[in-house]
Amino acid sequence: MKRYGEHRFPGKLFVVEGIDGSGKSTQLALLHQWLQGEGYGVVFSEWNSSPLVRETTKRGKKKQALTPSTFSLIHATDFADRMEHNILPLLKAGAIVLCDRYIYTAFARDVVRGMDRQWVRELYSFAVKPTAAFYFRVPLEVAMKRILDGRNGVKYYEAGMDLGLSEDPEESFGIFQGRILNEYEKMVPEFDLTTVDATLPIEEQQVYMRQIAKAKLAQAKRLRVAP
Amino acid sequence: MRETYAAPLPGMNLAEMSGKLIVIEGTDGVGRSTQIRLLRPWLEQQGRAVLDTAIKRSELAGKGIQQAKEGHTLGRITLSLFYATDFADRLEHEIVPALRAGFVVLTDRYIYSLMARAIVRGADARWIRNAYGFALKPDATFYLRIGVDDLIPRVVFSRGFDYWESGMDIHPSEDMYDSFRKYQTELLTEFERLAKEYNFEVIDASHDVRTVFEHLRAGVARVLSGEPREPLFSVVAPAGESAEAASKKVLEMPGKPTAPISEEPASAAQALTRAVEGDATK
Repeated sequence: MKRYGEHRFPGKLFVVEGIDGSGKSTQLALLHQWLQGEGYGVVFSEWNSSPLVRETTKRGKKKQALTPSTFSLIHATDFADRMEHNILPLLKAGAIVLCDRYIYTAFARDVVRGMDRQWVRELYSFAVKPTAAFYFRVPLEVAMKRILDGRNGVKYYEAGMDLGLSEDPEESFGIFQGRILNEYEKMVPEFDLTTVDATLPIEEQQVYMRQIAKAKLAQAKRLRVAP
Repeated sequence: MRETYAAPLPGMNLAEMSGKLIVIEGTDGVGRSTQIRLLRPWLEQQGRAVLDTAIKRSELAGKGIQQAKEGHTLGRITLSLFYATDFADRLEHEIVPALRAGFVVLTDRYIYSLMARAIVRGADARWIRNAYGFALKPDATFYLRIGVDDLIPRVVFSRGFDYWESGMDIHPSEDMYDSFRKYQTELLTEFERLAKEYNFEVIDASHDVRTVFEHLRAGVARVLSGEPREPLFSVVAPAGESAEAASKKVLEMPGKPTAPISEEPASAAQALTRAVEGDATK
């Protein structure tokens, strides 16, 4: 079993991280478009999307039966399935893999839910280190406004309602996201995350992202798919 | 005060768990569930409330694991983590509440089987140990020890070879027998290592059901009475003998004739009947 560290596969792995409403998914979608346009073989993988555990996660969330430990482990199972069946083989095959959320999401959320910091890091030690991990830094109020304006309410676990922070979902969401933000900030030096100022105009953020991606792809010409 | 192997789960109060946590470990087909079926009524007759639990029985993940295994598409790390989810759910929703309520919890396998399976499938031992670090240390772990030669006839003449119990996922072979033997031998070696590390109380499971039950019952009675462990159950290998040598010894243990499960009491009764009838006809 390989442990977390630089991979030697021909593919490249770019991941985006940040609190809800930081704009990371928008940025990843734009990067995806650009990479495809440049002729690369690109594959996208999203957090919590493995068909294998979908029913289990759904059952747990619906019945609000998930505890911090089972919440953590079911997401780790989901991630492991995508890692073993998707991300790793694709990196070996030379693809560019884009992940919307990666292990850092688990590190932030699970620790806020009270799981042991070292335990979670070791749990995910089978993950490969991304070529670049973009962290979209945004003040809590800005992200909150984006989320709460855009939809009708937040879901139970999304708002961290299981932690009993507040009876009011919006207030709970604010406290929960604030704590997650703190965890992300601590991880920037720990995991060498590439920070993007998520208050800048979308285009400016994208220019910065593409610059970094381009530099990382310089040595990866053979990834290019023939037109 | 209960202990865990590493950091406990958030919100888990380790005090006030007055019940007893008793683990029955052993490989596939060794007779764990048969023994638990005998232990439970025996304990209940003494007025003890019993919860029995086993792998894959969690409300949350049991069904999901079953479905996933039917597909045979499970990655090794994924399978380990799915089992860990099932375990955590049962720990928090079954085992801990029962211990708080003063139950005797009999668990058919615990983290050790899950660790052995993962390690045999190439998982990093440190990684899997960390994953289960939140598990409660049991009051006792009884390991039903058997050699592969004694195990095979039991499996063949009861339920037959199973895909996963034969390790077909790691030793793909046309012959389930070869695969079973190879996989179970590896598993038993790993169990021996764990037996030493986690101080299992070893019971020779090559005997017939009743004899095994007598040993097990004596061990459980001792745990419930709070008496210290007897040297009889010690697993420490003789001085100068390595763990490998000790485990080899078990694997090479000559097959003892095993009486079929239900026949012993029945044949005793038949013998009695015969004797009585014999007298009557005289």
